[in-house]
Amino acid sequence: MNSMINDSSSATALRDNADVAEALGRSYSAGFITEIEMTGLPPGLDEGTIRAISAVKHEPEWMTEWRLQAYRHWLTMPKPDWAKLNIDPIDYQAISYYAAPKKQPKSLDEVDPALLETYEKLGVPLHERAALAGVAVDAVFDSVSVGTTFRKQLADAGVLFCSMSEAIREYPEIVQKYLGSVVPTGDNFFAALNSAVFSDGSFVFIPKGVRCPMELSTYFRINAQNTGQFERTLIVAEERAHVSYLEGCTAPKRDENQLHAAVVELVALEGAQIKYSTVQNWYPGDENGVGGIYNFVTKRGDCRGDDSKICWTQVETGSAITWKYPSVVLRGDRSVGEFYSVALTHHFQQADTGTKMIHIGKHTKSKIVSKGISAGRSSNSYRGLVKMEKGAEGARNYTQCDSLLIGKQCGAHTFPYMEVKNPTAIVEHEATTSKISDDQMFYCRARGIPEEDAVSMIVDGFCKQVFRELPMEFAVEAKKLLEVSLEGAVG
Amino acid sequence: MNQPASLPLVASLLDAPLPPSGIAWLDAARQENRAAFAIGGLPDTRVEAWKYTALRGLGQRRFTQGDAAAQTRAVEASTLALPGVSGVRLVFVNGAFRADLSAVDSLPAGLSLQPLSQALRGDVEPLRFALSRHYRDIGDAFAQINAASAGDGVVLRVAAHARIDQPVQLVFVGAEAELAWHVRNVIELGEGAELSLVEQHASRGDAAQLATVVSDIELRDGAQLHHVMLQDAAAGTNLIRRSSLRLHARAQAALHVLELGGALVRHDLRAELIGDGARVHTRGVFMPHGRQHIDTQLAIRHQALDTTSTSHWRGVANDRARGVFRGAIVVAPGADGSDANLTNKNLLLSPSAEIDTKPELEIYADEVQAAHGATVGQLDERSLFYLRSRGIPLAEARALLTAAFCRAVLDDLPNVALREHLSTLLVAQLPA
Repeated sequence: MNSMINDSSSATALRDNADVAEALGRSYSAGFITEIEMTGLPPGLDEGTIRAISAVKHEPEWMTEWRLQAYRHWLTMPKPDWAKLNIDPIDYQAISYYAAPKKQPKSLDEVDPALLETYEKLGVPLHERAALAGVAVDAVFDSVSVGTTFRKQLADAGVLFCSMSEAIREYPEIVQKYLGSVVPTGDNFFAALNSAVFSDGSFVFIPKGVRCPMELSTYFRINAQNTGQFERTLIVAEERAHVSYLEGCTAPKRDENQLHAAVVELVALEGAQIKYSTVQNWYPGDENGVGGIYNFVTKRGDCRGDDSKICWTQVETGSAITWKYPSVVLRGDRSVGEFYSVALTHHFQQADTGTKMIHIGKHTKSKIVSKGISAGRSSNSYRGLVKMEKGAEGARNYTQCDSLLIGKQCGAHTFPYMEVKNPTAIVEHEATTSKISDDQMFYCRARGIPEEDAVSMIVDGFCKQVFRELPMEFAVEAKKLLEVSLEGAVG
Repeated sequence: MNQPASLPLVASLLDAPLPPSGIAWLDAARQENRAAFAIGGLPDTRVEAWKYTALRGLGQRRFTQGDAAAQTRAVEASTLALPGVSGVRLVFVNGAFRADLSAVDSLPAGLSLQPLSQALRGDVEPLRFALSRHYRDIGDAFAQINAASAGDGVVLRVAAHARIDQPVQLVFVGAEAELAWHVRNVIELGEGAELSLVEQHASRGDAAQLATVVSDIELRDGAQLHHVMLQDAAAGTNLIRRSSLRLHARAQAALHVLELGGALVRHDLRAELIGDGARVHTRGVFMPHGRQHIDTQLAIRHQALDTTSTSHWRGVANDRARGVFRGAIVVAPGADGSDANLTNKNLLLSPSAEIDTKPELEIYADEVQAAHGATVGQLDERSLFYLRSRGIPLAEARALLTAAFCRAVLDDLPNVALREHLSTLLVAQLPA
């Protein structure tokens, strides 16, 4: 019953959303700017900035030290240049590392109406009305979390769901135990930067044996100018716990590039299951490649216990540049990692995305399904690693990467790495690249389907395998997003 | 970072004087490449092209360059004999041409074949394009040292529309002494020419050697090349090869590559399809065992309309050996109608062996069919069961299936006698 209401209400929200999009000539519908009083730090990055962020958030001493250590390490690291991306140099001193709405709400009722309106426009239910939607939401606006819904219901089930800042204050022992245990502070350039300056994010803890009673969701919004968003998410599922988590992202249209460098860590103990779904729709820049978000994200899951499972599903349509490789370390015996991805690039967007599956435990399994669609003058690369360590007895991997090209000036690339050190492991990789076939188009056109609709139908079919893995609400949104993003790709 | 010149290998290679040529542009190119090698040194595993092949061990060794006794080293006739191949033959021992072992007396009409050391004394202008190249990339260290130091090699030309019926055999033997040698080959097939080529790498004795071989192969419009590369060097040989093919309009090349011997073996095999309708087919198998390291880097570039490439490669790694394969297909902007297909299947026979494979697609045109597949695993359980249920013991069933797995790459080799011989060599390489 609940799910039926849920579908219809989100469908309404989507219809409203779609109307806005239509009105704006079907372009980037989340590109508006919210006028709200902000406070923040001036641009610049040094140890003072990091101490200031830590102080604003009333963090304990160990946290400040942790950040500073990460910062000192970051200073020694070279910027990675191995990805197939052209990145204009980033001036890390020109970015403001902390921005927050001036009025900090004590409860959801005190949230600034302008903010609520923002999330309303984006179709994210934050308020009581949204109880119908049945999804618990943590909304992150620039650097801070502005509200988390359903706290009480979740607490009754024993689930901790709050912003990272709160978690550091209220559950320091859990945070201290797991933070940085999957993605160490010095893991890579952007993870180190994030560890130093992260401002907020979501924290989820599902205790032993608990099945989280509802979908958890975080909605990230970059609003302020000249800021970067550096959120950090930590999800811990104890023995036999289950959780499904959704993440959405948007940003206003601005002419300059903004930086988003997030870190997501997942920990699955014995028999636990985590499903992490993302619909990433940061502002991609305009059709001339001006503006847009630089999206440099480190996402990694650790199947620490036997029989655990982590599943990443992502729909990437936004961002000027995407650099993102959600990975799973399959440590526990019989643990399972899955990765389903649709990445669409248009105009001048560049994406270098994929996954890593590191098989350490016996009889571990992984499956990778990646669909890349490039249009305009964009460049879309799949980069993946499947590694079978010596002890990965009987481990199994299957990878499928398909690319679709729409237009003459785009690029679609596939760079899979396979490293196998165990003779009983099996690794399989398949990839194809082609354009939408003339036969398919002719078939649709002959039946009176306009060219653009035909393309969007075929693209939808191409991505079906991935959309199937998304929670219902997201699947509808994702399909819509693809249509809007492909606008103007044909003809 | 690394101080290239301080590595013993780099220092020892830079010690040797450049071979004097008396040709201004050639001396300049040699100087330039040598200077680049002195600055860049050896690539480390952070260089993408060398990610899976570490040169740390090799970098610590010293080799004297060139062999003063090359003309007198004994080479048995059996080393050179190949079934299905007779007639024209060019033999190099430790990088130097051996007239006494070669057979170039009666060349068929349209074929011109001579060692580079002789060619440089004649009209050098046709060689200028190939030999004046400067290698600048960080991964090009061995091409640099080859360009600087190679004093000999093969210069082969087939005149337009000439069909050479007998296969031409090129043999490179590393013999006895611990040293480094370099060979540079320039091969050109004129318009509509046809040639069958057998390139053989063999060794005498187990002395540690470093050998570099760089080959440029140009196929003019409509030319056809069958090229077999048999690499069966001794366990002490470090062999670094680069073969670059350029195919003009409607040219066709079919390559069969067997990588069996050597210690550290690296082969960069590049094919550029620069003319409309050009086709390249590569088949290969690498079978490292013991502590061998065999790395094949295949790169195919589709740069013209309606070009085709197919590549089928197999790998079998045993003992503590490591097999590395990269198969990159690039379809350049505007190369519509390209059809590219690549597969790489691998078997791991031992718990200490390793296979690293990386098929790549880089596509910049949309009227394209491109696909690749790669697998690493074991023999098919069902096939094993089938054989065992018919009374064939497990070990034998395994051997049969593994042999069939490797032989598959030879299926379309037209020279039957040679195919049978190569097939026997493959099977001999398998564990008993």
